[in-house]
Amino acid sequence: MSGNNLVLPIVLWGRTAPTHCISSLLVMDDFNTIITGCHDGQICLWDMTPELEICPRAMLFGHTASITCLSKASACSDKQYIVSASENGEMCLWDVNDGRCIEFTKLACAHIGIQFYQFAIGTEREGRLLCNGHYPEILVVDATSLEVLYSLVSKISPDWISSMSIIRSHRTQEDTVVAVSVTGILKVWIITAEVSRMQDMDPVFEEESKPIYCQGCQSISFCTFTQSSLLVICSKYWRVFDAGDYSLLCSVSSDNDQAWTGGEFIAADKVIIWTEDGCSYIYKLPASCLPASEHFRSDVGKTKEGSIPPLVYSIADRSDKQLLICPPVTRFFFGRREPFHKLLIQGDSAGRLSLWGIPDTSPLQPLYTALQVSSTVSLQEAFDKLTPVSAGIIDQLSALPGKEGPIKVTASVYIPSQGRLVCGREDGSIILVPATQTAIVQLLQGEHMLRRGWPPHRTLRGHRNKVTCVLYPYQISPRYDQRSLVSGGVDFSVIVWDIFTGEMKHIFCVHGGEITQLIVPPENCSTRVQHCVCSVASDHSVGLLSLRERKCIMLASRHLFPIQVIKWRPADDYLVVGCSDGSVYVWQMDTGALDRCVMGITAVEILNACDELAPATVDALSHSAVNLKQAMTRRSLAALKNMAQHKLQTLATNLLAADNADKGNLPKYSHNALVVQAMKTNLKDPDMHVLFFDVEAVIIQLLTEEAQRPNPILVSPETLQKSQAGADKGGSFLANKIFKQVKETMKETIKEHLLDEDEEEEEEMRRREEKSKSLSLLEYNLTMDTAKLFMSCLHAWGLNEQLDGICMERLGMLRPHCPISFGLISRGGHMSLMLPTFKLSLATGLKLTLTDIVGKGTYGVSRAVTTQHLLSIISLANTLMGMTNATFVGEHMKKAPIFTKQAKHTADLSSVNLAEKLK
Amino acid sequence: MNSFVLLEQLDSALLSSILHSSGSQLSDDEEEFNWLLKEEVHSVLKQLQDVLKEASRRFSTPTPGLESQQKQENFILGSSTMDQVKGVLTLQGEALTQADINLKVAKSSQVLHFQFREDKLWKLQQIQDARNHVNQALQLLGSHDESYHFKTGAEVNKLMDAVMLQLTRARNRLTTPASMTLPELATSGLMKMFTPPMPGDVMVNFYINLSKLCLTVYQLHVLPSNTTKNFKPAGSSVLHNPGAMFELNNNRFEVSHVHKVECVVPWLNDTLVFFTISLQLCQQLKDKVYVCPSRRSHKVTQRLKAAALIG
Repeated sequence: MSGNNLVLPIVLWGRTAPTHCISSLLVMDDFNTIITGCHDGQICLWDMTPELEICPRAMLFGHTASITCLSKASACSDKQYIVSASENGEMCLWDVNDGRCIEFTKLACAHIGIQFYQFAIGTEREGRLLCNGHYPEILVVDATSLEVLYSLVSKISPDWISSMSIIRSHRTQEDTVVAVSVTGILKVWIITAEVSRMQDMDPVFEEESKPIYCQGCQSISFCTFTQSSLLVICSKYWRVFDAGDYSLLCSVSSDNDQAWTGGEFIAADKVIIWTEDGCSYIYKLPASCLPASEHFRSDVGKTKEGSIPPLVYSIADRSDKQLLICPPVTRFFFGRREPFHKLLIQGDSAGRLSLWGIPDTSPLQPLYTALQVSSTVSLQEAFDKLTPVSAGIIDQLSALPGKEGPIKVTASVYIPSQGRLVCGREDGSIILVPATQTAIVQLLQGEHMLRRGWPPHRTLRGHRNKVTCVLYPYQISPRYDQRSLVSGGVDFSVIVWDIFTGEMKHIFCVHGGEITQLIVPPENCSTRVQHCVCSVASDHSVGLLSLRERKCIMLASRHLFPIQVIKWRPADDYLVVGCSDGSVYVWQMDTGALDRCVMGITAVEILNACDELAPATVDALSHSAVNLKQAMTRRSLAALKNMAQHKLQTLATNLLAADNADKGNLPKYSHNALVVQAMKTNLKDPDMHVLFFDVEAVIIQLLTEEAQRPNPILVSPETLQKSQAGADKGGSFLANKIFKQVKETMKETIKEHLLDEDEEEEEEMRRREEKSKSLSLLEYNLTMDTAKLFMSCLHAWGLNEQLDGICMERLGMLRPHCPISFGLISRGGHMSLMLPTFKLSLATGLKLTLTDIVGKGTYGVSRAVTTQHLLSIISLANTLMGMTNATFVGEHMKKAPIFTKQAKHTADLSSVNLAEKLK
Repeated sequence: MNSFVLLEQLDSALLSSILHSSGSQLSDDEEEFNWLLKEEVHSVLKQLQDVLKEASRRFSTPTPGLESQQKQENFILGSSTMDQVKGVLTLQGEALTQADINLKVAKSSQVLHFQFREDKLWKLQQIQDARNHVNQALQLLGSHDESYHFKTGAEVNKLMDAVMLQLTRARNRLTTPASMTLPELATSGLMKMFTPPMPGDVMVNFYINLSKLCLTVYQLHVLPSNTTKNFKPAGSSVLHNPGAMFELNNNRFEVSHVHKVECVVPWLNDTLVFFTISLQLCQQLKDKVYVCPSRRSHKVTQRLKAAALIG
């Protein structure tokens, strides 16, 4: 790949907030940010005011499985890092301020708990993460590189660690890790400066190992107030231990069938304990547990059980709560700084956060007082409160009279060559619409707001219910008919459409369940299979549907478990089906015979062998409608894939790296300026759409088109370069690169046209005419439209009114009518997307007018975002200034430059020039 | 549009009209779904618990301090085709407490004999992990007893997903042993377990594959530093082949012989069967929730029934 691309995402979230079934919680030390992780792998950042108002700010994408734990990963307050771990062993280090992914790694084992610890080595302080999980050690991981440094190991009956706590002792200057294993053995490790200095991978053995008979331990916490007791929570009882010799001070069992899941000390003599179903109770500890009391340790050795300590408060769980589908997560945090909040915080499966401020005083009537919730908000509520509401990509076409919300988009695919977006909807219809036009309607103000039914679109009706997947096979391989569009639905059918006429060509009804995926077979399959698409259905069946023969040539069904992955062995004519239970079925495509069904290592080996033989056979955009989780697992999201290869970081490093990266050859430039990617966090969600703008590609396309434009002055790439280079004073390397690419692209188009000319010109013309007629879509200039949309979104409206006026009147830019949610792409395809509510959190408390909300661009969101946006707008504006029609008003917006004879002549000339140069 | 499409549309239209005529369909569907949530789910959960308790019993969780009271089992590892390696292993719960390995070296016909040092035992992490995963699955199931009222299908699905994740992990731990590189194996600590100490040119590995306890013995030879052979270190694998090379402490080695012997552990076989049964139970329950009428719109129900009728 050509290296560093500046790609900016803009998100259209739609009115439905993404599913956010909270699985873990963290409050930052400054109490300004709450972080939640969810079962689908996303992380949400919420801003919190001192008055405990909360507002979601951004969502972080990158994990492919459920988040198991979150922890802070830096000690200082000027750089706030957190680390997240997921069920499949991924670990990610994020910057809380802008959602950038700093580092990521994947281990074979899954963590269930992470604690941050700072080692002092002389004057230097180094951050470490102590991790426990489904393995018998405690791993010590570097907090900046995420490398495993060494491990804390048990000599005596090693087993998984259920929970651990770090005890900082001021008396001995010796910090210890106390942990409880799943079999109920308490383990103690000493972690001191000496340990941190160790360079080798030698394990550290435990200092003490003592059975405390706490099976199924849920959490363990240390009393920071007295520094002399430990609270251990098991599902059926909770116990307090002396932190010195770990003797039992008191034990309380749950009275009914409630299961305790966690607890903390909230004062020297009070604990808060919560249950699986979301209720919490504050208890006053008996005197035998209080070091200040004369009765301290008076019960040690007595096997007294039962006496339930006085209840101070019970904390009401929300009575109006929605139906929850899994137990909520509860945590307690207290501030070490003003205003010393003591917060109980709960996140549930509906994406709701609830906060309770815990008072220090006891109520007068303890048993009858329930503490009321201080503040609560769910993601959906935050979305609902927005005015104007958060836009979805085709909301204006989906609004139904008499209905509240628009019809939801359930599957979509973007066809970059036509600039068109295909959206399958929940009512079974499919909409074809120009992507930039519809995005302009959603994001920007203008005359289009008054037109009904704008932008021009086409509706395909055929499915009886929700459309679940859409595929445009020609986009993945030119062997398919350019006209075919394939869609699958909840009604078990797969329909083939003619995309140009809108005609329904064929209905396949071969599956006995909802169609979940449509895939294109790889290039080197047999000719018969090459004209098929592969359909996967929820009845665990796979079909090969021949578009040419209009029949199903193979149906592989009766898999016992849902299908997770389809792979190919074209050379052997095998279709390999991987199921969710790890079994692998190998089907012969020609005969439809089941060749093998295997499990275990063989299954893994077969799947791996398919990867080795044909890397990236299942191409990028074939599963645009699959949920993000799957897409990320396969790294199939086109744009994300690009990101992964580009390792785009901040701009400064970009420019530096450009020199090194581009010394080599320049491959053919084939990026699209705009890619619209449908995403969903959960399979049940409607699609949200992310517009990925590739700044470099926009510039290259603009310049290419400028050069192709018939012009009195002969514009060849050379003259362009000269003029630009003059302005640039020799030009940077990046500029050179871009011009080289412009030349490349031009040469390509010229070549294509020269080749096409003789045989295909007429046919091409006919097709073009037919296309425009049949679709009756407005002819427009895709590149200029993209640039217009992009510039209008990026411009910092409201800073300079005079400038705004010029932008609107002379340049034809449009003012946004809602805050635009940008995103930030960081390493390895990790992405942070601003939620539509982000502006509210920027200035909470203040009453904002609409212009305030819309204006000022994104400045103030974060440094990284500002840098990217400034750079994009400057480079794009520079390019536009050098063009013949440096505005978005006028005739040239209507049509893309077509190769006329004259233009071709110009192009020929320039290619001759080029050829001479090359010699 | 070809005739096939027309025919099919006619067919389904006919079917749906037949189904539509039964007016009380909707309330029946609701009743069926309520029955599923109230009765069927709990009966499946009960079944699951029974099966998994059986599985968990096979693993015999140690009580702290009483590990030595666990049952000891001896396994004789051998192969019918070759007699170079013979091993007698003693398995106590999740750990190998004794091992006797006889190795006949090909070139010298001399028999080497190793056994575990008295103070050592080798924990089979695979068994411990599988046991812990099963117990976690049981814990999940335990929190939803008969008194619990499931309100939505999504709730059932979420629970099943969590249980299935644990069960799949448990089964995978037994069916897919860890793949290791040869240097990892050489430094794993297993080599230091034996008396007499293992010579530098022999390496052993123990693991579980499906229901079998496996012992692999690698015989190595040192590659001379001036060798003309292409040195290519082998990646990680469960079982390395002769010819695999690696570097350790500046010495280069090549595997010359590989001997693999194994023995079936009957109770591991039982647990694998239990895992498979319970995974299928879970999936079937999910499928039932999925096709259950009230979950979905009326139209699709008709489609489903139509499909069932055709099939």
